Parts: sequence; structure tokens; C-alpha cells
Amino acid sequence: MSAEESNLLLDEVTGEKVSKNELKRRNKQREKEREKEAKKLASKTADVAAKPAKSENDEASEENLNPNQYFEIRSKSIKKFRETRNPNPYPHKFHVDISIPTFIEKYNHLEPGQHLTDVVRLAGRIHNKRASGSKLRFYDIHGEGVKVQIMAQAQDSEQNFAEIHDLIRRGDIVGVRGCPGKSKKGELSIFPKEVILLSPCLHMLPKEYYGFKDQESRYRQRYLDLIMNNFVREKFDVRAKVIKYVRKFLDDLEFLEVNFIISITVAPELYLKMLVVGGLDRVYEIGRQFRNESIDLTHNPEFTTCEFYMAYADMYDLMEMTENMLSGMVKSITGGYKLKYHPQGPDGIEMDIDFTPPFKRVSMIETLEKKLDVKFPPASELHTDETNKFLQEICEKHEVECSPPRTNARLLDKLVGEFIEVDCVSPTFITGHPQMMSPLAKSHRDIPGLCERFELFVATKEVCNAYTELNDPFDQRERFEEQAHQKEQGDDEAQLIDETFCTSLEYGLPPTGGWGMGIDRLTMFLTDSSNIKEVLLFPAMKPIEEKVYVADEIYEVPHK
Amino acid sequence: MNTLENKKSENNNPFRQTKFTRSSNSQKIRNSFSQFSQEELAAKKEIVSIAGRLLRIRNFGNLLFADLADQAGIIQLKVGKNKDFAELGIGDIIGVKGVICKTDKGELSVEVQEFVLLSKCLRSLPDIHYGFNDTEERFRKRYLDFLINAEKKDILVVRHQVIQSIRHWLDQKEFVEIETPILVSEASGAQAKPFVTHHNKLHRDFYLRIATEIPLKKLLVGGFEKVYEIGRIFRNEGIDARHNPEFTTIEIYQTYENAEYMMNLTEELFHYLAAKVLKREEFAFNSHPVNLVQSFRRLAMVDAIKEYAGIDFTQINDLTAALEMAAQHNLKLAKFQKTIGQIILAFFEEYVEKKLIQPTFIYDYPVEVSPLAKSKPENEKIADRFELYIGGLEFANGYSELNDPIEQKKRFAEQARQKALGNEEIASFDKEFIEALEYGMPPAGGLGIGIDRLIMLFTGQNSIKEVIAFPQLRSKEKVSENFE
Repeated sequence: MSAEESNLLLDEVTGEKVSKNELKRRNKQREKEREKEAKKLASKTADVAAKPAKSENDEASEENLNPNQYFEIRSKSIKKFRETRNPNPYPHKFHVDISIPTFIEKYNHLEPGQHLTDVVRLAGRIHNKRASGSKLRFYDIHGEGVKVQIMAQAQDSEQNFAEIHDLIRRGDIVGVRGCPGKSKKGELSIFPKEVILLSPCLHMLPKEYYGFKDQESRYRQRYLDLIMNNFVREKFDVRAKVIKYVRKFLDDLEFLEVNFIISITVAPELYLKMLVVGGLDRVYEIGRQFRNESIDLTHNPEFTTCEFYMAYADMYDLMEMTENMLSGMVKSITGGYKLKYHPQGPDGIEMDIDFTPPFKRVSMIETLEKKLDVKFPPASELHTDETNKFLQEICEKHEVECSPPRTNARLLDKLVGEFIEVDCVSPTFITGHPQMMSPLAKSHRDIPGLCERFELFVATKEVCNAYTELNDPFDQRERFEEQAHQKEQGDDEAQLIDETFCTSLEYGLPPTGGWGMGIDRLTMFLTDSSNIKEVLLFPAMKPIEEKVYVADEIYEVPHK
Repeated sequence: MNTLENKKSENNNPFRQTKFTRSSNSQKIRNSFSQFSQEELAAKKEIVSIAGRLLRIRNFGNLLFADLADQAGIIQLKVGKNKDFAELGIGDIIGVKGVICKTDKGELSVEVQEFVLLSKCLRSLPDIHYGFNDTEERFRKRYLDFLINAEKKDILVVRHQVIQSIRHWLDQKEFVEIETPILVSEASGAQAKPFVTHHNKLHRDFYLRIATEIPLKKLLVGGFEKVYEIGRIFRNEGIDARHNPEFTTIEIYQTYENAEYMMNLTEELFHYLAAKVLKREEFAFNSHPVNLVQSFRRLAMVDAIKEYAGIDFTQINDLTAALEMAAQHNLKLAKFQKTIGQIILAFFEEYVEKKLIQPTFIYDYPVEVSPLAKSKPENEKIADRFELYIGGLEFANGYSELNDPIEQKKRFAEQARQKALGNEEIASFDKEFIEALEYGMPPAGGLGIGIDRLIMLFTGQNSIKEVIAFPQLRSKEKVSENFE
């Protein structure tokens, strides 16, 4: 034990070792809370003295405890049941014969006041508890994103009514065996013969009224986010549909799904192309990629992409496939082709995105010439030093910033971002990329200096990137050398020569179309999310400053 | 379609073509036209466009035959006297337009009318007669392996088919597919050594996940009722015939159910894959024929040890007796293994595992070796857990999920104790998971299946490398060091 640690004192409440000052502070805080509670309890008891059951008072006052106090009290009570096993608070299984959505679908037609004698078994989480006298309890039970009422009447109960209902708290998972019916007010309910605690919630759930809105906490405790915020689940349903749609689309075209070694540095596309060399003509992968870059609104260190390679197809075939896939997907998920998107959140600007095919197609250099009212050098000279000067001048003139290295590719990319991408709200293909920007794309069939590539932009962001793949090994080696040159100039994103890949090209890669799409980004548009974290179940987060609170004293972990 | 004349002028650049439109492939031709005679085909004059790689060329002067291979198989090409075609080499990729015919020997062929060179093979392919069988070379140049050894390609096709079928089967049962992170701050959910990586901008280490269990169980807390994830898992362990540092698993969770339900689900899945997807009952695995359609045997672990090793652990009630038994059988135990449960498992691994050839569920595991499983209601020392063994190897692992945070915390503490005693394969203490359990996780059954091994079983392979497109290899230098 280090000297530092030995100076620490044990906080008997949490079991943590803390400094003397910290312990003093904590004890003071606890004393204050106790006083406050005592006062509250006293006033509460006075207020509701007329009401019947004592347990209800306890329960009502619990709601006023702070979360730590609530946790301590609930844990102690559950710990007691763990020992007595009367009842066992963590039983092994509860046979469910109807899900809550199916229950609603099946019984929603009942008339107010109608009760059936069917006995069904459902389970879910309690979100609300109300008592009305000692013989009636109301709960909302949630499951699969929907809820139904439990109307527990002492007269229907086949168990000790008070005992079980005093035990159950907001947040608990329960199983219910009972009969469907509607209350006189017309609310669909289950009238239980039996309610079983399946798993208690030891923590106080955030109050429905305040909700659970703090972004940081929502991502860190995604499970609580899912419990409290229904829209979260809906977003992930959309995400699942996006992936399912892509997979089905490609499976129907007889593509083969494959998985690769995850390499932190190499994109899977080189491996995929080697499979096409090996005679697998149509392959795709939906997989994780990694980037060692900062985390922000649109970047997470790991993200999901779909890539496919199709032998004997070119970029024009792929543009048509992209239109079919995306318009079909948007239609099947949303029912139409048009979406509203708020890139800066619900209060910011609104974009109208129209996925009706065919998508707009714009040519890069031509469009820049029009927008900037200049004449670019011919495509075959785009890589020269003269062009570099030309591009620098334009950038300066229009105050477009480009951090070094100011290579032709990077300068042009900035201009495209500033003058073309910003206008691509509805899906737009940008084509006619210079060869120097695309080391893996085949050269343009008609215009020397350009290559066969398109990018699809939606809501000003790149969603797809595709080429007629370069399959000429001589040309490929030259391009890699050019990239190495760019790297020397300081462009970190330039690609290094891959000998294994070049060798495979020497065995002959058929003419092939290659395509990639960002799944996360597309899901953001379809769920109107402005932050990538909204569409990732467990986004990467900055390290936690404070410790997760776990009250050790409750557990009294025995060391054998 | 380029005509023969056009092709000539393009000869200078054999990589110029950007696309070729096919109307058919080798298999479709075979399926639709095999049944017709030479005369019938001659009358039909059926024209097709196909593309693929030239694997064999037999030149008889006036007549030339070649084998064209595509993803679906091989079809013979018949070419009349043609100087340009004769210039093609083995390995070249061409597009062909021609008429379906049968040769005098009755071989279904395409008589070439026009062809175009789509991509040139600059290197010589391994000779088909000698084959391409060197294991090291095969995996390093996997694309050549798939080219020359078509049956290796078929393994990937079966893999695709099996995984999509599992997906379909689960989707029908209304399970939701989930993707959880690969980069994690805590490597938990299994007993294994993780890979470590560093995030530059966040200035912190991440681990590559060793299981998908913990995040999926957090989603059960969040209200998902039936979930699964098919995903890559990474373990920092040795590479051998059965182990690749990254492999694919499926984990399935269903709320309100228990181990027994998951055991039934496992059996149902294996029956479905064998009978409905691969349409076979018997498979050869690990040099044994195994029947996957019969009902699987179920055996408690202590009963299995009694049956295969003649040792009755129901009669051994204290650690001293268990240690004595281990000493009698020369069973070496590490420090952390000195508990009854660990000793029972050691006996099972030593005497039973390898003998479980036909599909067998082993259930009732010692709780010490099952840190995330619930105990049996009637016996807290026994975990409500099972594993499926086939051909002497583990295929599936499932249990009633431990959802009691107080007990889970105890188990983690016990794991930490084992770690202190030198057990490197340990479930790490995951506070965030405990906190999630404190919000209440419904009772649930969980199941994990190793997908790679499953594909090995269905394709009769003994090495995991065969069922992975690009398996991890030791670097070349390392290999030669080993040979020195």
C-alpha cells in the first residue's frame, strides 16, 4: 500500500477510502440530509394523518428521499428478501404468454367496463404506481415501447394483496397473471390474480415529470435512457431497418456477405477486392471501421459502413443501384420519399430532403467553374504546380481556408466543400473527380486526368463513395507512389503502397464497381438526429471524472 | 459488346474495360440446358453473355477448348480457329458472347462468337494439375486458393448461407439484431485476455471486446426483450488450428426465460440448420460422423464425470477430499483452482470433454467457474448453466443470467481473488454493469455460439483458418524463425 493510500480513511457508508476532509464533508452532508428528511417526514405524517395504510405513507415519503438514500433503503429491504426468500426477489423465470404490444392489439376492442375471463401472463417494468384505499392499486407496466394499466383489486387477488403490493416500487420488473378488461373509464387493463416481483429496481427512477434529459448521462446510462425515453428505442428500430434493408437488397442480387480481419489501419476494401480476384464476383461487408480521431457530433472512433464489390459493373451501374437502394429504403421505412432534417437540432434550420429517384448529378470541375466564374486548367494538368498556384489563388480570393499541406487534392477538396457540397441537400451525385484525389479509382474513360468516381451527398454530408475500381497493376503502383509523395508533403490521409494488394492485381481483377456507404450517417437522417451518438447504442465517451456510485456497505461482500 | 475487331486495337491496354454485362453464368447454363441433346441445342441457338477466368486451355490447332470459371462454377468454351483467342493466357479474365452447345463428347459448352479481354493475368497461376496445396501459401494468397481450389470458396458460401439463415430464424422469432461497441473501456463478459489499443485524442487505452454479453444485458435492463448480436470477438491468445485471435460469435438473450429454455432453443437451431438449411443429418467432424438431427443427450456434469471417469463427485463434499482425488489422478492444479468447483471442472476437461462426440448438453456447472450465471434455485453452488459438446469440442454456452446485483458483486470479488492467485483469464470487475443491474434486469436466458466452429462443423473442416476469408497469420519473419 502506498503512503498516500494509507492516509485515507474509510467512509463507512460507501466503503470507499477517502481523504479526511472529504470524509468530514460527506458526514456533514449526510447529517444535513437526515435532518431535512426528518422534517419532511414529520410534516408529511401530519398532512396525511387521516389516510389509512401506514405503508403508503412510507412509500410516498420515499419519493422525497435523495437518490442515494432511496438506494440504501431499497437495497436493505431487498437484501432481507434475498435471505428470507419470501418472496425470492430474483426468481429464475416467468412464463410469458403474451407480449404487451400483442395484449393491446388483441384486447383494445373491449368496451369500457368489460372484463374477460381469459387468463394471460405478461411481464414488464412498472413506471407508475397509485393507490386508492387499501384494496386497489394502479400501475403502468411498460414493455417493447408501449404500456398497459395494471388494475389490481384485492377481490381478484389470489395472493396476500397487501404483502405483494407493499413490496413493489416504480422501476421494478414484474410478472402478472390476470384477466384482460377495461376500466369504467375505458382504459385497457389487466386485472391480476397474481403479481410477482421478477427483479427489483434498487435505484429511484428519474421522475416522469422531469424525465431523463441530460445528454451525457443518457449516453453513459443508455439502459436508463431506453427505460425513460421512448424515442430512443424508435431510433434504433430505424437503424435495424436500415441495415436489414441493405442486407436484403444485396442478398437479392446474389451478393455474398463476408467478414474480415479488423485492422485498425487498413480499410477492408483491399481485402474485399482480393476476394473478387479470387473469383467471388459479388461480395459485401457490413462492418465496423475505426478511426483514431477526436469525438464530435459526427465522429465516433468506431463506425459502421457497408462496402460492396461487383465484378463486371462500373460506376454508372452503381449510381443506379444507389438510387434504387436509398429511395426504396426511405420509402419502406418512412412511407414516402421526403424527409425533414434538422442538422443543428430541433430548434435549428430545417432541411427538406427528397429521395425521389433519379438523384441530381453534378460534375465537379464544371460546377466549380460556373460557381466561381473561372476557367480551370484542363483535367490532365490538375496535378501540376501551376494548378497548385491557381487553386491557392482561388482559395485566397474566396477566403477558403486550407490548413497545410496545401496539396492540389486538399485545396480542391476545400473548394468542393465550400461551393458544391453546401448545396447538396437532397441526394446529389458529385462526379468527375481528379485522379490525384482517388488513388484506387480507374481513370476516366474519356477525359485524361479525371477518374471514374462518384460521391453521394445528402444534407451536405457524404453518404456514399464509389468507383469503377482501378484494376491495372501498373497504374496502381504509380498511384501509390504519388500518394507516398503526398504523404511526404505531410498529408496523413494519403494511402501507403500495399504490396500484397498490388500482387493480387497482377493475377487479374475483373472490371469491378466498388461502393461504400456510412450506415450511421444515413441513420442520422432517417431519425432526424443531429448527433451521431443518438444512433449508436453505446457511443464512446470521454473518461468519467467521478466514480460510479455503488454502495459497498449494502453488500457486505464476504471474503471466504 | 466489343467485337473481335475492336478488341485488337485495345490490345495495348488490357485493363481498359470498365464493365461487361452478363446474361447468365456457368451454373444457370448448366441448370437450364444440361438436359438437351447436341442436336436440340443446335436447333435452339441460345445466345448467352458470360464472364470469368480462363483456367485451362487445350489447343488442337483448328479447335480450341478452354475452361471458364466464374463464382458459380466452371463452363467449357469451344473456339474455332481464332488467332486472338489463342494469344490469351491462363488466368486472363474475359467476357464471352456465344451459343450454347454440346461437344461430340457430350460436354455442355459455349461456342464463342465474340470475346473481350477484361483483365490480364500477369503472373502464372499455380498449375491446376499439381494443385495449390501448401497451407502457408494458400492462406497468404487466399485469392489464389479460392481461384484454384473452388471447394474453399464454397466454404465461404456455406458460411454466408448459415449466418443469413440464423439471422432469418431469429428475425422470425422477433429477436432484434444489435451492434455493440468493439472498442470498450472495460474488457468484461468473459474469462479471457484482451488486446489493448490506445486512443490518441482521448489519451486513454481501450480494449477490444472479449464478449458481447455485458452491453447486451444492459439493453435487457433498457427494455429490449429479445436481442442478439453476431459479431467479432478478440482474444489475446495463441493461434492454432482452433483459435484465431479474432472470431465470430452470436449471443442471444431472451427475457423471462432460463437456461433450460435456451438449451431447447440451441437444439432447435442446430436441427433447423442441419435439416432445413444444409439438408443433411450427418456431418463428419473432427474425424467422427455426428448426427445433428437426433435429439441431443443431456447430462449433468457430475454424472458425466461418473460415467466417463468413474469418479462420483456427489460423494465428495469437502475440499480436502477433492484435492486428494486430484492428487490420486495426477491432475495438476494451479493455485486458483483449489476449490471443489474448479476441481470438478478440471476432471471434466481432462476425462470427459474429448469423449463427447455425438451432440451432448452438459448442464449444472460449478458456480465458481460461471461468474455471470445464476445459481440453481435449490443449490447455490451449482450454476444454472449448460454447454453443448460435439466431436469433443464446445459449441455453445448458455445460462440463466445472473440479475441479482448483490450476488454479481460477490462473484466479481471472487474473480478478483482468483486473479490474485494467478488466473489470467478472469471476468473483470465491471461497476457500470453492477449499477445497471441495480435498476433491475428481468430474469433472462442467454446463449453464445461460436460461429466459426459451427461453420467448421457444417463444412467438415478441422482448421478455423479454412472458414475465415483472411485468417490471421504469423508474420513471415516469425515463421522462418520457428523453422530455424
